Amino acid sequence: MNQALRFHWSLSQAGNSRRRSIDPKKMSGLPSLEAQEALCRKAESCGIETMLMAIGFTRPDPLLLATSLGLRTKSIGFMVACRAGLVSPTLFTQQLNTLSQLLLGRICINMVSGHTPGELRGYGDFQDHDARYRRTAEFLAVCRGLWRQKPFDYHGEFYRVEQARVHTPFHGGAPEIFVGGNSEEAFQLAAEHADCLWRFPDAPEVIAAESAPLLRTGTQVGLLVSLIARPTREQAHAAARASIKPFSEETLAVHRNFANKSDARGFRSVYRRAEHADAWITPTLWTGAVPYLGAPAIALVGSYDDIARDLWEYREAGVRQFLFMGRPDIEEMDRFGRQILPRIRARERVSAGGAA
Amino acid sequence: MTASFHWRLAEGGENLQRAMRGLRDDPAKALPDLAAQIHFCREAERVGIDALLVDINYAKPAPMVLALALAPHTRRLRFMVAHRPGLMSPTLFVQQVNSFSALAEGRICLNMVVGHSPDEQAYYGDFLEHDPRYARMEEFLEICRGLWETAEPVDYSGRYLQVEGARLNTPFTSPKGRKPQIFLGGNSKQAQQAATAYADCWLRFGEHPQRLASAIAPVLKSGTAVGLRLAVIARPTRAEALDAAARLVDLSRVGDKSEHEHLFVNGSDSVSVQQVYKMAADEWLTPNLWTGAVRTYGPPNVALLGTPDEIAQQIIDFESIGISHFILSGWPKLAEMVYFGEEVLPRVRRLEKKLDPAFPREISHA
Repeated sequence: MNQALRFHWSLSQAGNSRRRSIDPKKMSGLPSLEAQEALCRKAESCGIETMLMAIGFTRPDPLLLATSLGLRTKSIGFMVACRAGLVSPTLFTQQLNTLSQLLLGRICINMVSGHTPGELRGYGDFQDHDARYRRTAEFLAVCRGLWRQKPFDYHGEFYRVEQARVHTPFHGGAPEIFVGGNSEEAFQLAAEHADCLWRFPDAPEVIAAESAPLLRTGTQVGLLVSLIARPTREQAHAAARASIKPFSEETLAVHRNFANKSDARGFRSVYRRAEHADAWITPTLWTGAVPYLGAPAIALVGSYDDIARDLWEYREAGVRQFLFMGRPDIEEMDRFGRQILPRIRARERVSAGGAA
Repeated sequence: MTASFHWRLAEGGENLQRAMRGLRDDPAKALPDLAAQIHFCREAERVGIDALLVDINYAKPAPMVLALALAPHTRRLRFMVAHRPGLMSPTLFVQQVNSFSALAEGRICLNMVVGHSPDEQAYYGDFLEHDPRYARMEEFLEICRGLWETAEPVDYSGRYLQVEGARLNTPFTSPKGRKPQIFLGGNSKQAQQAATAYADCWLRFGEHPQRLASAIAPVLKSGTAVGLRLAVIARPTRAEALDAAARLVDLSRVGDKSEHEHLFVNGSDSVSVQQVYKMAADEWLTPNLWTGAVRTYGPPNVALLGTPDEIAQQIIDFESIGISHFILSGWPKLAEMVYFGEEVLPRVRRLEKKLDPAFPREISHA
């Protein structure tokens, strides 16, 4: 398959690249709309398709934030995180469909099942990890029924609707669905209900082996990874080292605390690995910032050529989409757009030509 | 005292015949109509409307999202977003409201409704009966209040809703305060109790002021304001107003109104919907309060009917018994609002200056 790789970026730390080092209870829930809008506009010019809108008690509601940002931008899409269990699937679909009409389809969803029981209880969600995945599957089944635009009944373990319908259709039929997670349950859910599974990276051969069963179901695999790209590998390593310098013991405690409270297998395993093993999983895959910034700080570190080669290796391993973070995002995104993306696109052209 | 005047956001265009064919199922209502709705919002702001009501039901866009899309096109106008508890975690709901406030200068207030159609509730997965829906509303608003009013994490364990350590880092932000104004509607005892305990304003359908006065006295006494949901048919002369009213009803006879009425009333378990239908039998509550449109358009359409002077006086009569909010609608949607704002509202403001500010309080002690 020669379809082009697709690239997305997380909006979660726009305007404050150290956000993830702060105790969640002290994070600002009012991030700068200007910085977010600037990052969205930058993304539009850097070949980024959508911005991930995270969900959690520390930030504004992703669907409403996407509404505001979407109406201020032209082409960028929004990947809105949703946790089943907090909202009726019918009302969620109605909200999402409404937004799709306003943005002419520039939205997709990232179904997450939550990773911290303490936070979920604050939303009134008391289900355990495995039940949350079963519930997410039911939630998506109801949403899909609504997108078919014909009244239907559904009786599940967690949801029951009768003659369910909403009249506002999703612009273009139905949204693309992403699922985040690294557990067996997440793989299962993605196989059944998602277009693409987001997971944390590992060595390309590990990704290839673990992805194969999912790829056979027709669901794609995408990697959530931070980028530290520089003209040379030495510069990239220096940047990586510099990026963790400002952090203190206090920051370490924040994430140790988080890892202990989380029941998400992916977050915990990336974190444990970072704490107990060598910080380099491959010559370019680095976990050195994870103890300070959490699992999503697992990073590809290297020269533009290194990283373009890495992305291509992941492509060979079956990965089709990437969700990036950077610190600061806007500068890393610029380097991606100017340096790495052209290398990938050139290689895709060669590859397509060779295949023809 | 001065009352606040709100209007219902125009949805589904201005085609009267289509609107009459069915209250809810008109496909024209399903899509946002941003250009027309932005114009409607700007006109509302220009003529002195405080907030636009954005309804919730399965046949329309989601009100929270639609309102946020409209907000940037105005500067002062507020949006009264309808919401039904039971469809969303109270924590997530407060997060949405607070996010709205941060993204639109706090210009949101809430119209909390329990829903009135068991069929429609089932679309959303809500199978609770009438009375428990109000009990759940109170639990929902108790949690919301906790999130708005206390800095500490909120614990709550009720019959319908539980949260543990609920907290949000996005606060409600508005020049007017740390929590949104809450309007809560319904004629039942349960609605009144929920409004008294949790709302800033109890909303009712239109009735004769004298009947209304005794019903609202305990609520006013508790410190909760009272508002009315009414339609407006204002014209330069009474004859023109009557003519406009007749045309609204005559046209409806082209369609099958009895079938529609049957569907709406029998499909509802709302106490107020049933009461207002009974009342519509004798069409005139006062010379300027007409219920003839209720059978065709539903209970929110007890209508203020007459000249600008007559309607202003009728409003003052309501204000005299302590009504301080009016949520209005009319036909044609935009033209009626503009005419009201330009012709009726200035007259109301002049008459308000002569009102005895102590009067509503005396009534409430009677």
